[in-house]
Amino acid sequence: MSAPIGIIVAVLLFGIGILGLILRRDLVIKLLALGLINSSSILCLVSLDRRPDVSPPILVPGVEFAIVDPLPQAMVLSAIVINFAILALALVFVMRLVERYHTTDSLRIEHEIERDREEVAP
Amino acid sequence: MIIALPLSRFVFAGITVLAGRWSKQLLLAAHLLDLGLILALILTGATAGSPVTLGGWGSGIGITLAFDDVSMTFLLLALTLSIAISLYVWSDGHRPHFYVLLHFLIGACYALSATQDLFNAYILFELLTLVSFLLVGYERRPKQIWASLRYMIMSSFGMGLFLLGVAVVYYHTRTLNIDHLMAAVAGQLDASWVRLAAALLVAGIAVKAGVFTFSLWLPDAHSRAVPAVSALLSGLVIKMGVVELFRLGDIFPLDLVYTVLGVTTGLIGALYAIRSMDLKRMLAFSTLSQIGYILIALGAGSPAARLGALDYAVAHGLFKALLFLAIGEIARRVGSSNVHRMLASGIQVPRAARWAILFGLLSIVGLPPFAGFAAKGVIESSLHSGLMHGLLVVISVGTAMSFAKFLPLLRAVCTSCTPRSRTMSYIWLSTGIASFLPLALWGTPATMTIVLGQWPVYVEALLAAALGFGLFRFVQGRKLVLPSRVFRLEEGVLVIVAGFFAVWLLYGLG
Repeated sequence: MSAPIGIIVAVLLFGIGILGLILRRDLVIKLLALGLINSSSILCLVSLDRRPDVSPPILVPGVEFAIVDPLPQAMVLSAIVINFAILALALVFVMRLVERYHTTDSLRIEHEIERDREEVAP
Repeated sequence: MIIALPLSRFVFAGITVLAGRWSKQLLLAAHLLDLGLILALILTGATAGSPVTLGGWGSGIGITLAFDDVSMTFLLLALTLSIAISLYVWSDGHRPHFYVLLHFLIGACYALSATQDLFNAYILFELLTLVSFLLVGYERRPKQIWASLRYMIMSSFGMGLFLLGVAVVYYHTRTLNIDHLMAAVAGQLDASWVRLAAALLVAGIAVKAGVFTFSLWLPDAHSRAVPAVSALLSGLVIKMGVVELFRLGDIFPLDLVYTVLGVTTGLIGALYAIRSMDLKRMLAFSTLSQIGYILIALGAGSPAARLGALDYAVAHGLFKALLFLAIGEIARRVGSSNVHRMLASGIQVPRAARWAILFGLLSIVGLPPFAGFAAKGVIESSLHSGLMHGLLVVISVGTAMSFAKFLPLLRAVCTSCTPRSRTMSYIWLSTGIASFLPLALWGTPATMTIVLGQWPVYVEALLAAALGFGLFRFVQGRKLVLPSRVFRLEEGVLVIVAGFFAVWLLYGLG
């Protein structure tokens, strides 16, 4: 059985996402890569069942036709919302860091934080 | 009624948003309600009965909740820690949204302990960690935000792996229910998709469960948060990953994987803990090493060892929360959590915190008759391999070595200016630690009498503690540089990918 095209694309995107997460130092690009990773898991879930001879799970009254399993689609909906929430929160956190350190470079932020080590707790 | 337990906390969170002025009273009411519901669960026999599927769907599609021994253990741990944390923050004057997050966190923990559905677990994990991110960054200091952001990126990546695993499992079995999966997977344990799914799921969860080389976000996130949050994260949130590892261990044959991960995290965690002079950071590393015990016990695969793993998860939750709370209070007072600075500043350790540290210390190094000793005893007596036994003793010695630096704190001057509610919180957790052994004896008399009847258990515990404290004086002045680069974000992600392949390989070997 050859893998559906959706799966191949999903695995490729997942790999690109990992590379982006590791190789790029810009935090915003890292978050984009994270979004790519999460979207590719979602793509994987949706496309596992995709075959040319079945329709999306939208029922039309009075018409009988084969539909794909609706459960993964329902699951994907929640996953998309969750990933949106996490990315939004992450962007807010990045914004706060940028306000303080004026950079989105993860290495430089790391150094600045190290330098702030002696910062005294209130 | 069964659904009420996880959901009531979310309702309380909603009411707290609307009526922030009453947040403390609402917290109290929530605890009373939880207590009542758990009692009702036990009395009506729901804990012994079969799992319940919600919403009128079949058990393969609907979300199934089960209240078996594992869920009940973690439910009670969640309730105990929730009470302790509420007492601790009672006099702190937090903003209402702190209490909202607290309700969400505990509610998610209740639901996670009980759920039997992999995708539901995914959702709850995301909820749990989303709340944890906000709690870690609660004070909005840049250090906390950075720690939280790294936690966020690594755990979101881990959850991406988990979701891929869910996709693979669902494609091949058409179910996500743990019981159905057990039956579906049992016949084809060597199939390549089972191996792939197991590796994806375990690697994804290990990021949350505080396993070294996966959870490299943990030392910063746990040490930089406010004390109450550190205690919750280390005592409870990590354990939710452990619950899921329990469940996955039921489905897939993961004994070798768990053993290897357990030994790695136990040894490396202890090594870092010995070197770390920052006490909160040291406690975080020690959490990594303590998870090692639980995983080694899980990897042993026998029912007795499984019981030991459960015991240890609870015991660790109690004493690590206590230590984090007490050290956190002292660190706030001194303005630093570095042990040298603490001692140099001529601090006055509050009397209550001193007792709390003493109790926590004795328990974590495994001295009788405290919780750590009982749980370690169950694990040690259930292991039949000499090598594993030896490794456990090595980790125990390492734990004692890393906690030797707490001893000078016990000699510091005493004052008594802790708020009364905070003292109550210490007493509550200390009572838990002290009454663990009698309770275990009452709950599982057969196992415990065997454990307590063996004299090597006592000798081992005392020797490990004495050896550890002694060895620490010996290594104290020596330089040992451990790589700290691994805690950066990039390396963390890289190591998770490597860990996934390691689990995949180990599954093939086991």
